[in-house]
Amino acid sequence: RKLFALPFIARLLLISLSSNHPKYHSKRSIHTVLEQRIIISIITIFTTPLLLLHLIMSFSLAAGGSTTRASIPGTNTANPAAPGNQRTTRPIVTGTSVIGIKYAGGVMLAADTLASYGSMAKYKNANRLVSINPKTLIGGGGEYSDFQALTTLLRKAALEDRCTADSLYEEDGSEECAREVWNYIRAVMYNRRNKMNPLWNDVVVAGFAQDKDGSTGEPFLGLVDKIGTAYGDDVLATGFGSYLALPILREKYRGDLEEGEARALLEDCMRVLFYRDCRASNRIQIAKVTKEEGVLISDPYELDTSWDSASFVTPKGEIEGDGGW
Amino acid sequence: MASYLSAANAVQAKNGQLALPIHSSEGDVTIPVSFSHGNNPNPHADDIDHGVTRATYERGFSPYEFNGGTTLAISGPDYAVVAADTRLSSGYEILSRDVTKLHALTEKCVLGSAGCKTDVDQLRSVLDIKMKIYAHNHRKPMSTPSVAQMLSNTLYYKRFFPYYAFNVLAGVDAEGKGAVYSYDAIGSFERTPFSASGSGQSFLIPLMDNVIAHKNRCDEKRDLPSEEVVEIVKDAFVTAGERDIYTGDAVEIMVITKEGIKKEIFKLKAD
Repeated sequence: RKLFALPFIARLLLISLSSNHPKYHSKRSIHTVLEQRIIISIITIFTTPLLLLHLIMSFSLAAGGSTTRASIPGTNTANPAAPGNQRTTRPIVTGTSVIGIKYAGGVMLAADTLASYGSMAKYKNANRLVSINPKTLIGGGGEYSDFQALTTLLRKAALEDRCTADSLYEEDGSEECAREVWNYIRAVMYNRRNKMNPLWNDVVVAGFAQDKDGSTGEPFLGLVDKIGTAYGDDVLATGFGSYLALPILREKYRGDLEEGEARALLEDCMRVLFYRDCRASNRIQIAKVTKEEGVLISDPYELDTSWDSASFVTPKGEIEGDGGW
Repeated sequence: MASYLSAANAVQAKNGQLALPIHSSEGDVTIPVSFSHGNNPNPHADDIDHGVTRATYERGFSPYEFNGGTTLAISGPDYAVVAADTRLSSGYEILSRDVTKLHALTEKCVLGSAGCKTDVDQLRSVLDIKMKIYAHNHRKPMSTPSVAQMLSNTLYYKRFFPYYAFNVLAGVDAEGKGAVYSYDAIGSFERTPFSASGSGQSFLIPLMDNVIAHKNRCDEKRDLPSEEVVEIVKDAFVTAGERDIYTGDAVEIMVITKEGIKKEIFKLKAD
């Protein structure tokens, strides 16, 4: 904050040093008005980026709050919610699982469109699958506001890439591939966890990993969790999906799945999640990334469900009553 | 006391402790009490369920997570063998069966790390950058004892928010002899004949004491060739994988000699 005053102090000093009083027009005064203006502008130019950077960094997402070490939030137990220093302690509005699978033509993700407010199904049309650039798709579970903030940050970076590319017209080459986005998300998450103020998300990244020569390479599917654990695999799932859907996906995965097969498999897993995850809904979105068409995200649609399975009809609990205890 | 309010008003301070006056036939006594609200260590202790139904994530955010795994390194007269399993776990869940824990820092030096994967990844990035700078400044790659010292310094730099990484460093030193260094999380290190770290270290270290360090044996100690050590390492990981839930899926084994690094993958049980 004190740096803000620097240009003004500089200006005041110069004015006081080089007064235009005739008495000072001697060898002591070496500053003409022009030189005075040059010196002020030089000082302002050098300090302003620092000021702007300081300003931006303290409000930026990646910094995660105040950058001054002295005021680490939460360590001041007398007043943990000191003004200006807030940190994440628990997620409030949450998305549940995101599942992903590689197939012969690319990578496919599925997620439902529900953002829950605790046990309330509050936002039934939330987009949890988002494209960052025409080649990369991410899906997020966990705190929905943190996911939106992360999406904004990534899209900002993608826009900057497009605007500063060598050519405004060339499609390929300037965009970050999925592996680069995955690495960047990992760095953001790790930085936030170091400040004990995480983005409370599990993010799945889908797309292609660019080869060294710039050509689009192998399909890529990676996951980053809220402390920055980053790994890739052929099948991935977050949240409840890692318990219910991942075993199914691992069992049925083959290297040469066609698009229809991959989609059917993901829909089956989303159906299982709807049956057994009480924070899931049957209104889902499927998204895929292919080399030719890039990212395609479907409109939300509802899955058919069947509730006449024996264990739903005749509960294993008491025969009379609702099966509860 | 008729009510909470009248009790709160009647509280007196005696010997630095809050106390309520109680009048009895034997005389007047003061009973120590505490009306703590804001700084209650367990704010849900008074709930009817003692806070049990609160979701786990509300008990606080931990920046660390144990992702499991075991690493083992053995040094010989002109080689070093380093091995690590490829399983990434979180709690009782397997996140991935194919994640490497070994990282070649130079042609002659490999770092194996178990622990919290995000910290291990960050440590590797930091070390890679430092090694690049060294190579630019000194026009040669870092020698293994220097890498060992640098790793120790890098870990101690984060003494008050440590890298949750349990490292073993294996390589050949300047003379071509095998070198293995073991570390703790904050950089204390030592050159040792062998080293094991991670969740399965308790199963491997006693076995290595007998087979490699030749303790409690009556037969002659002999120098083992690298092929035999690789077979011992495979057996050791089968042993550890049998009893440690975080070890399994596959072992990545690297043999480092002054000619370079040879890699091998050996499958383990996936349970």
